[in-house]
Amino acid sequence: MTLDWPTLLPLIFAGLMGLAILIYVVLDGFDLGIGILFSVADDAEKDTMIAAIGPFWDANETWLVLAVGLLLVAFPLAHGIILTALYLPTFLLLVGLILRGVAFDFRAKVPAGRKRRWNGIFFAGSVLASLAQGYMLGIYVLGLDTGLAAMAFGALVALCLAASYAAMGAAWLIYKTEGALQQKAVLWLRSTLVLTVLGMVAISLATPFASPRIFDKWFVWPQMLYLSPLPILSALLFAWLWRQTFHLPKENDRHSIVPFLTLAAIFALGFAGLAWSFYPFVVPDRLTIWQAASAPESLAFILVGTVFVLPIIIFYSFYAYRVFGGKAGDLTYD
Amino acid sequence: MDPLILSRIQFGANISFHILFPTITIALGWVLLFFKLRYNATGDTAWMRAYFTWVKVFALSFALGVVTGVTMSFQFGTNWPGYMETVGNIAGPLLAYEILTAFFLEAAFLGIMLFGFRRVSNRIHTLATVLVAGGTTVSAFWIIALNSWMQTPTGYEIRDGVAHAVDWWAVIFNPSMPYRLIHMLIASGLTVAFLIAGFSALRYLAGDRSDSMWKALRTGTFLAAVLIPVQIFVGDLHGLNTLEHQPAKIAAMEANWHTGANVPLVLFAIPDEAAKENRFEITVPNGASLILKHSAGGVVPGLDQFEGNHPPVFPVFWGFRIMVGTGLLMLAVSWSAAFFLRRRASLPKPLALLMVPMALAGWVATLAGWYTTEIGRQPWLVTGILKTADAVGPVAGSHVALTLAIYLILYAALLVTYLGVLVHLALKAAKDGDTSPLPGVLNAALSQPAQSER
Ligand code: HDD
Ligand code: HEM
Ligand code: HEM
Repeated sequence: MTLDWPTLLPLIFAGLMGLAILIYVVLDGFDLGIGILFSVADDAEKDTMIAAIGPFWDANETWLVLAVGLLLVAFPLAHGIILTALYLPTFLLLVGLILRGVAFDFRAKVPAGRKRRWNGIFFAGSVLASLAQGYMLGIYVLGLDTGLAAMAFGALVALCLAASYAAMGAAWLIYKTEGALQQKAVLWLRSTLVLTVLGMVAISLATPFASPRIFDKWFVWPQMLYLSPLPILSALLFAWLWRQTFHLPKENDRHSIVPFLTLAAIFALGFAGLAWSFYPFVVPDRLTIWQAASAPESLAFILVGTVFVLPIIIFYSFYAYRVFGGKAGDLTYD
Repeated sequence: MDPLILSRIQFGANISFHILFPTITIALGWVLLFFKLRYNATGDTAWMRAYFTWVKVFALSFALGVVTGVTMSFQFGTNWPGYMETVGNIAGPLLAYEILTAFFLEAAFLGIMLFGFRRVSNRIHTLATVLVAGGTTVSAFWIIALNSWMQTPTGYEIRDGVAHAVDWWAVIFNPSMPYRLIHMLIASGLTVAFLIAGFSALRYLAGDRSDSMWKALRTGTFLAAVLIPVQIFVGDLHGLNTLEHQPAKIAAMEANWHTGANVPLVLFAIPDEAAKENRFEITVPNGASLILKHSAGGVVPGLDQFEGNHPPVFPVFWGFRIMVGTGLLMLAVSWSAAFFLRRRASLPKPLALLMVPMALAGWVATLAGWYTTEIGRQPWLVTGILKTADAVGPVAGSHVALTLAIYLILYAALLVTYLGVLVHLALKAAKDGDTSPLPGVLNAALSQPAQSER
């Protein structure tokens, strides 16, 4: 492989797209998860939970726009193939995102009697979006296969991804809330962790068996050795997180962000594993990133802007999170 | 049904629903900044009340704009894969710059603008408002650049059937882009002006005579009165630009079947495409020649020059007439309201009654304008490069039909709820008048339903 621009640019954009997806999954994961946890919270808790995500959800969702945008602009061929193959789940995802996005605002502005209805819609939209994402992941992992077995596997991944989003949501609540709700969140975290583990194991096992190519990438010596930190580290982090749930919240609420960061690290590890499995393909076993990429001069034109703008985006996103740091109170327009 | 037709309907329905909300947020951000600066300058709390009433509308419109926009970014792939395959090298970077320079800016500072009032200094809060308003405008810049490029492409070359950019400056500032951008930004200003004026007129009719109502009413009315003549002027220039670059579209807009001099301006007609003539025509002699060529003897291209290669005449003709008609109505209403507000410091009831439905006039004109533009581009998706029929994806017609039906139901429900909430907010503001506590004083929580109903 020679390292000239036509080789490098698609690689860089694949990396950026992966980064955008990972950031999206972690960030929107917690606010979708909070929507899912709406089903087990009471009315006062719901208000606090909304306040814990209020200023962030829009920016979180923008990472999805960036991820899909990068797929669209850097790998237009893949964008077409993947999204037409996943036409219906994509549609369900969008309906879910629409419903929860508007419910978020409507619930606070409609006459009092209707608030409960919009709470329900917020929950339903969050669940639908999470399930759709999981299903899409499952189908993608199996190489966009749409047989009956693939659909069943997709359903399993859907369930597990929704559960792991709920775990993210619970971990975020541990960080952003206090008192009874925080204690409840610890219990929510513990129960959703089980399904999260199950999901990660299922995907890790299914991927190599769905494709001999991926099998060969993992189970050959010495790759196996170099790759072993991924599963081992994930398992250790899971075990550690599980133990933490018995000692939370700590004195003076110290380290309340640790469960969230631990989960984010686990997501990142899992994601790295997937990336290794699929590289260099964007459409599993069909199109490599070089076959699907746009013209180098177009990618270069985007890259110039990205190099300048991305650090600024990351800087002001941090700033926005800092402005709303601390425990969530009531959300007011002032 | 044919997936092509269904995909077109679906895309049209989605973008039509999406554009309703950007038209509001683009200009409303700047109006909010105006309210805030007035408050900073005068210390008059009525300005702050106006701000807090309208920031709610902004938040709601923004949320709808974002969720429908996310849908749009998937639509290119799900329904038009051929589009990205052919012109992805050009459309891609423009869309990417929109995301990088506009969407993140809006999204990150929206939180601070909406909920950060007491968490950051007043100056940072004003800055956040500027950045959000600026972000929406920058986003309009990029997407209009792309859309205009699809109408009047320049700065590219075709290699192996795929468009490659050779001059990015020419791609972005293509011939119709400045006209379209300015026309669209003013359209957004007019939409917001009439929305604010109509909303305030509703408060007026409900008996509200509070300071904040007057301030909003004046802002809306005067803004409309100033913008509408400019819009008509810009629209005329836009039309001349279209005549130069897309003459088939102009011929369809004017329902002019024959090339020639002394072409009349058709005020009303039912264009009949099979017979290639107009029925029930009402015309102004030499009108079209005068408008388009500035002389009665000017030769205007007719549809006969574009046999088999021109857009459907009926929707383009009528879309244009609805837009211009609405624009003239806007002129009449905003100028008479401005007259009464300036000279008499009052608003006659019939005029107030008319202004309430006119709150949605901006939407009507904007949609009509976009339909003229977009249908007028047919049969091309990208003029001279890609036909619409060649861009459709391999999705089964039944799938598109199913999703289309659900989208339509969802959108209808959301639209009804949105308008219901606006009316609810207006009536509540009317009831509270200037007695409503300022949020800074009484912590009206976002997560709580409106105060008065507890
Ligand atoms: C002239 C203005 C205009 C037009 C023609 C369009 N948009 Fe738009 N769009 C905006 C002006 C805008 C905006 C003002 O920037 C919005 C509205 C509210 C908002 O949050 O940003 C927005 C939001 C918005 C978002 C969500 C951004 C976020 O997450 O913050 C996406 C992904 C798109 N749009 C995509 C599109 C696509 C793919 C379009 C065309 C096919 C399109 N928009 C037409
Ligand atoms: C914002 C207001 C807009 C409205 C109301 C609008 C409306 C429409 C309508 C009604 C159609 C269907 C036309 C037909 O099939 O006869 C259409 C098609 C289309 N428009 Fe737009 N449009 C808008 C903006 C845009 C923008 C900004 C873009 C791209 C940057 C765009 C890209 C397209 C594409 C790809 C199609 C599908 C192909 C076609 O039918 O021509 N539109 N639009
Ligand atoms: C009354 C005089 C007006 C004239 C002469 C006029 C002229 C035009 C023309 C010629 C086009 C089509 C351009 C093309 O596609 O090539 C257009 C499009 C459009 N018009 Fe108007 N217009 C007028 C009023 C308005 C008003 C009052 C609004 C909204 C408040 C509006 C909103 C739009 C929009 C959104 C488009 C589509 C985007 C674009 O192509 O710029 N127009 N107008």
